[in-house]
Parts: sequence; structure tokens; C-alpha cells
Amino acid sequence: MNNLSQNTPDTDLQDQASTSVDVIQTLDLTKRYGMRAKKSVLAVDRISFAVKKGQVFGFLGPNGSGKTITIGMLVGIIMPTGGSFRLFGNSDSRGLNAARARVGATLETPNFYPYMSGRDNLRIVAAIKGVNRSRIEECLALVGLSRRAKHRFKTYSQGMKQRLALAAAMLNDPELIVLDEPSNGLDPQGIREIREIIHTLAKRGKTIFLSSHLLVEVERTCSHVAIIRDGRIIKWGPVAEMVGEGNAVLLRSEDIEVLAGAMEAYPDATSVRRTDDGIVVALDSGDLANVTRYLSERGIYLSLLAPHQPSLEEVFIDVTGDTTDSMTGLAA
Amino acid sequence: MKILTILLRIEWLKAAKRRIFWVAIGAFGLFTAIRAVIGIYMASTIPDVDFTLPERWPDILGAVSGFGPLFTAILMILLFAPEFSWRTARQNIIDGLSKEQFFTGKVILLAGLVLLFMAVAVLIGVSSTIFSPGESGSAIFRPNDLSYMGGIALGMLIYGSFGLVLSTYLRSSGSALGVLFLYIIVEGIIPLLTLRMGSRTLRDAMEFLPFKVVENLGDNLAYYPAELLEMNPMRPELDLVPLGSPDIGIHVIVALAYIVVLLGLSLLNLRKRDL
Repeated sequence: MNNLSQNTPDTDLQDQASTSVDVIQTLDLTKRYGMRAKKSVLAVDRISFAVKKGQVFGFLGPNGSGKTITIGMLVGIIMPTGGSFRLFGNSDSRGLNAARARVGATLETPNFYPYMSGRDNLRIVAAIKGVNRSRIEECLALVGLSRRAKHRFKTYSQGMKQRLALAAAMLNDPELIVLDEPSNGLDPQGIREIREIIHTLAKRGKTIFLSSHLLVEVERTCSHVAIIRDGRIIKWGPVAEMVGEGNAVLLRSEDIEVLAGAMEAYPDATSVRRTDDGIVVALDSGDLANVTRYLSERGIYLSLLAPHQPSLEEVFIDVTGDTTDSMTGLAA
Repeated sequence: MKILTILLRIEWLKAAKRRIFWVAIGAFGLFTAIRAVIGIYMASTIPDVDFTLPERWPDILGAVSGFGPLFTAILMILLFAPEFSWRTARQNIIDGLSKEQFFTGKVILLAGLVLLFMAVAVLIGVSSTIFSPGESGSAIFRPNDLSYMGGIALGMLIYGSFGLVLSTYLRSSGSALGVLFLYIIVEGIIPLLTLRMGSRTLRDAMEFLPFKVVENLGDNLAYYPAELLEMNPMRPELDLVPLGSPDIGIHVIVALAYIVVLLGLSLLNLRKRDL
């Protein structure tokens, strides 16, 4: 688990830099818009992370946190203003161009020629990627678009557009698949279909870099996750560790408000959050005896005290303090 | 070489599927054919008038030199600029093209458009001799005709490069077309303003404004001196100043310089800006 509060490359990352299995590695990657100091916007602020071969890596963050810009830099459409990154170990422009031949990516909305059919659009992608035409039909079948392949892209529903984008990304059977908000605009059925495709790809050993603001979706799909906010990575590591770490407890008593007030004043509590079942308190240490003693001294008696494993959504809220609707798992 | 073939294939796929591409080619053919049809009609109705090649190339190519360059710029803008609003330019890069390769694809598209327009003009010219009542000369082209075609093609390349630059900088076909027409008007006004200033050097310099260079390269008198010699003796009698012809050699050099600068600016912008 990596807490990068200063966003400087820590020892772990520098160790990882020496390994050859890093598919993506960023070091202090920065993007600043505007030249004048006062008016400039720091969209991505010295972020460092690594994605290893075979990982399904979730890139989490609210809208405007810098996810798409980071991906844009990785796929070559946005120029970094600082730091560096490697794709398959390549960092120079020639090497990066060659490395991108091993990548399949979609960014934000699916971008295709509206006047062309799905199949013709894939013919263009196939020509760019140097892929045989027969592969087009395979990918169309994989995403369930064979029957609509001859229709114009502009007549497609949002779900079909997303599926075509996935087909395009998979056309060259890439080692790394980068998907930016692949569930955007999809209904629950569409989201499930995309999730199944991602699972299929993951089972085939592909490395997947998935950006999303659907926390439940990421928790279900990803093995590793990085949380970005205001252009900074504030936490990254395996999902299992992230949701399993810490000493959170679920507490309940007769008067929840009094209990919450008391725990907010408890010196060892790092956060207190109300839920439908009671309050979830994150503790610095796991000394529950102290908690019960502290509460009983104040005349508060617990009806429930249980260890609590947070969801990714709770971890996110815990580390970012974000409780807005921009980050939810409801859509899943 | 292989990458150029791939880029040509990609650009052909993109263009051939667009209705505007075929509409533009059709309109170009129609405008060129009108001149040929008028010529054939006159040849068949007026005695001693014929419309045969290679003698009538100046007429056919003269028409092409008038609207061909503008057609090239407009079509270039309509085919290229939407790539930014559709975000297919960025997707092409994501899919594996480098920005330089993407740009090269557009230069290939421009060269292809010029070749296609010239091919249409030649096809119409050659077809017109079949329907013309007169007898054609021994050869279809004379060296002058080929030079004239080269001059017109250079003019189309200047306009097309201008369209390419506007598309790259403005990233919107509406804005790019607006600025193109505005510039044509402005460039037409500037020489008129300099006339009042009396400076001969300044007036001479006006001959080398981009679209004036195109106009000069499309001036058929520069390629057919015999016509100039034929026309000039009559002009003093009509109180007209003898006609001159632009120095094509200098204009070719200036045209090439403009094309290099315009394409260079476009590539620089594409490299520098995020997609």
C-alpha cells in the first residue's frame, strides 16, 4: 500500500523502476495549463505510480481530478509539462511510439467517424495498427456488434458506441488495454456487459488500466487501484489491502448522535462516519478495550461493536473526504 | 514507403466514404466541363472555330486555374477540420499513429486531391476532343500545357496548404472557411491600398502575396508567349497598356517557399498542441 501524500517517488516506486515487468510507470508526471504562474492550472501534480503486467488497475477519482489528462499523457495526445513516464520500459519518443503499438485505448467518449459504419471505422483502426481484416470480425463478434457492423456509427446507441470502442481497443490483441470511463452513459445491463468483457480480458492475462468514478464497479473489477484527487495520487495499492487495512469498527448504541459526538472527541479516532447500521470509526490503534472504557465513562453503552471492513467507496471517502455525488457506486 | 501506402489507404477510406468529397469532385468536373461544352458548341456552330487539343488546353486549364485552388482549400478544410471536433484526430494518435504520421497523411490527402482534380481536368479535356468536330493535333500535350498544369497544381497546393494550416489552428471547419474567405477579401484589398502609397517596391511586393502568386501561376499568358505576342500589337490601338506576363521561375520558387512555410506551421502547431 502506498500513501503518497507528497507525491514524491517513494522507495517502493524507485525499486519498481528497476524491474522489467512494469507496463506503465510514471515518475513525477505533471501537467500544467497556462504559462503565467497566477493563471496557470496544475491539472496533474507530480504523480507517480506503476502498473505491473497482468494487473487490472483502477484509476479512481472524481470528475476533474486529472484522470483523463493522465491517460492522455500516457497515450500521447497530451504533452506532459514535467516528470516522465515509461510504457513497457520505453521513455523516448521513438520507443513510446513503438510501445503504443502494444496498447489498445479509448479515451472519454468513443471517437469514431460518424458517417462511416462500425466495420469501416474498425478498418481504419486496423490499417493504423497493421491488423488483418479477419480480426475485425472477431472483435465485432466479441463485443456483440456483428449484426450492426454495417450501420453508421452515428446511429449507434451509447452502449453500442462503447462496445465499438472496446472492439477497436482490442483489435491488435494488445498487451495493455487502457479504458477511460468505459461505463459512461451505459444502463446497468450495459455496465454488466462491459464488466464481463473486462473480466474476460483479465482472464486472458491482459494488463488493464481502467479509469472510472464508479467505485463499486472498480472494486468488483480491479486488482489494484490508485486514487487521484486534484491532480495528486493520494493512495494506491492492491484493492484487497486497501479495503482490508486499518482498524475500523462499527458501533451502535441507543442514541447514535451522542455516540457519534463522543467518538468525534475520542483521541484515537481518525474519522467518524454515520451509516444505516450505526457509526463507523477509523482508529489509529485497534485497542477496543480503551474504546469501551472511554464510552462507559461517559454513560454510553454499546449495543454493537464489530470490526468493519470498508468498501472501496468508504476508503475513498475516508482518504479524500469526498462525500459528493460525483463519486458513487450507485450506478453499478 | 510502406507507411506512406498505409497512410494513403487510411486517407482514402476516410475521404471516399464522405459525401462532400464526391460532391466536390462532381462540382469541379461540372465547372470544368462547362468550359469544354461551350467550346464544343462554338466549334460546331461557328465556322473556322474549332475546339481541339492541344490548342484548347489554355481554355480548359484557364477555367481550372480560376476555381481549382479555392476548391482544393475548401475540400481540404471540410475533410480535415472535422477530425478535431469528432476527436478522431486524437483517436488516430491513440490507435498508434504518431503526430508526424497523422500530418503526413494529410499532406498525402492534399497531394491526392490536387492530382485528382488535375486528372478530372485532363479527362474532361481529352473527352471534349472526342465530341469536338475539329481534328486534334498530333500530340495531346505540348510542353507549355504541362508547365501550365504544373503551375495550376502549385496554386492548388498553396491554397490547400492554407486550408490545412487553418484547419490545424482553428480546429473547426466553419471558422476555417470563414477565415479563408476573409483572407481572400483582405488580400484583394491590400494591393489597392498600396496603389495610393506610390511606392513601386511595395506594389511589386504585392505580386508575391500568397494568393496573388497563385493567380500569377494560373495566368495562361505566362505559359503561351505566342498568345501574348498576338494580343499585344492590338492593344495600343484600343488605348490599352500592353500585357505582361509574370516570371514563372520566381513564382514557382515563392510558391514552394509558401507551401513549405504553411506545412511547417501546421506541423509545428500539431506537434505543440494537445489533442
